[in-house]
Amino acid sequence: MAKITYVEADGSSNTIEVPTGWSLMQGAVSNGVKGIVGECGGSMACATCHCYVDPARFSELPKADASEIGMLELAAADVKPNSRLSCQITSSPKLDGLVLYLPATQH
Amino acid sequence: MLHFDPFSPQVDADPFPIYRRLREEAPCFWSPEAQMWVLSRYADIVNAGQDWQTYSSASGNMMTELPNRAGATLGTTDPPRHDRLRALVQYAFTKRGLENLGEPMRAIARAAAEEVRGEKIIDFKDFSAKFTVRTLMAALGLPTGDEAIVDEDTVREKAVIMVQSDPVTRSKGPTHLAAFNWMQDYAAKVIDMRRKAPRNDLISNFATAEIDGDRLDEREVLLTTTTLIMAGVESLGGFMMMLAYNLSSFPDARRTVVENPALLPDAIEESLRFNTSAQRFKRKLTRDVELHGQTMRAGDFVSVAYGSGNRDDRQFPDADRYDLARKPRGHLGFGGGVHACLGSTVARLATKIAFEEFHKAFPRYERVHDQLAWMPSSTFRSPLALELALN
Repeated sequence: MAKITYVEADGSSNTIEVPTGWSLMQGAVSNGVKGIVGECGGSMACATCHCYVDPARFSELPKADASEIGMLELAAADVKPNSRLSCQITSSPKLDGLVLYLPATQH
Repeated sequence: MLHFDPFSPQVDADPFPIYRRLREEAPCFWSPEAQMWVLSRYADIVNAGQDWQTYSSASGNMMTELPNRAGATLGTTDPPRHDRLRALVQYAFTKRGLENLGEPMRAIARAAAEEVRGEKIIDFKDFSAKFTVRTLMAALGLPTGDEAIVDEDTVREKAVIMVQSDPVTRSKGPTHLAAFNWMQDYAAKVIDMRRKAPRNDLISNFATAEIDGDRLDEREVLLTTTTLIMAGVESLGGFMMMLAYNLSSFPDARRTVVENPALLPDAIEESLRFNTSAQRFKRKLTRDVELHGQTMRAGDFVSVAYGSGNRDDRQFPDADRYDLARKPRGHLGFGGGVHACLGSTVARLATKIAFEEFHKAFPRYERVHDQLAWMPSSTFRSPLALELALN
C-alpha cells in the first residue's frame, strides 16, 4: 500500500491509500479523482490517465516503455519530461507519499 | 415475454425502452434472432472489455461481420497480435500528427457550411458528409484533386452501406458485400499508389511501417486500411448526426453551446454517452461463463450493448436525461478496454471543430421531423437524414 496524493489542476488534492499491485489510475478512478479518466481501463489504448509525477521522485519509478511513450503522444494536455500514464505505475510501499499533478483536461 | 432482435427496424429507431427491460429483467439474455447473448449492464460490459482473454474479438467484432476481416484488423484480433498491429498503426494517430490537421479541418468545415448556406431547410447529412469525407481524405492521405481516383460521394456512400445489415436475413446482403469489395479494391489502389511514391500521410506510413523488422502482411494492410476508411467515414459521420440530433432535440443545450463554444466538449461527451452511434459490438467466448444465473458456453457469441451500458442508472444516475452538466466519466461511447477506439482523439477534435464552424454559420436551427428514418444496422445507429430548419 502507498499513500498517493493526486493534485487537480485547480489545486485541490486527494490523498488516497492505493493497495500494492493496483495501478495509480485504478486508485484514482475508484476514489472519484476527477482529473484521471482511464477510458480504456488500463489497457494502454488511450491517454486519458495522463499525470505529471513529482519531478523530485520521477527517477524512482521504473521507466516508461516504448508503447507508453508512444501513447503519451495522444495526451490532450502538454506532455512534459515528468509525464506518465498513471495506469502504468504500480503501487508499492516504495511509492508512499508520491505526489501526482493532474492536467486540466484528458480529452 | 422479453424479446430483443437487434436487426429489427424498431430497435434501429429506438433501442432504449428494450435496453431498460433487458438491464432490469434479463441482464444476460439469449437472443434467438441474433443467435447471441446480450450484455446490457454497464458493469458487465466493462468487465467484458477488460477480460479480452474470455471475450475474444478474433472471430469478428461487428454484429454482422464482413468476410475475411476477422483476424486482420485491430478490432478483430486479440493480444498479442492486436498489440503488434496497434503499435504499427498507432503512431499515425499521435497528437503530433493531429496538430497539423486542425487548420485544414476548420477550412473544410467552413467550406462545407458555405455550401449548404442559402436554403431554409438543410439536411445536416449534407454538411456532415462533406466534412467527414474530406477530413478523412486529408487525415488518411486518400488521393484528392488531380490525383483523385474516385469522387468523394462514392467513398461515403460505400462506407455507409458496408456497416449496414439486412433486417430480413439478419446478415450482410449482396449490396453490403459489393460495397465492402468496392472499398477493398479502392484501398488496394491507394496502398499501391503510396507504396510507389510514399508521402507523409497515414496510409503511406502504414503501408511501409516496420518495427524491429516486422511488417504488416498484405491482408492486414488492406483490411486495416479498408476498416479505417469505413470507421472514419461512417462512425464520425454517424456520431456527428447524433450530436446534431441531440442539439436539435434539446434547444436549451444548443443555445448554451452556441453562446459558449467552450462547452461543446461537454455536449460531445454527453452525446457519446446518451446515444452514441456505436451501439453494439460482438465478442466470442473462449470459455464457459456463469452470469446472472445463465451459463454462456465457450464458442457462443456475445453482444456488448454499449448503448445500453451508457443508460444504466447504476452507473449514470437519471441516465435517460441529456444533461450538459453531467460530464460523464467512463462512458462507453468509444467502447472500452483493449479495443477502446483508436480514433477517439481525432473524432473529438474533428467534431468540435465541425460544430464550432457550423454554429458560426447557423446558430439557430430546429428539427423539421419528429419521426426519422434510421439506418438499418445491428451495430451502429444514426438517422439516414436529419432535416433542420434554419431560422
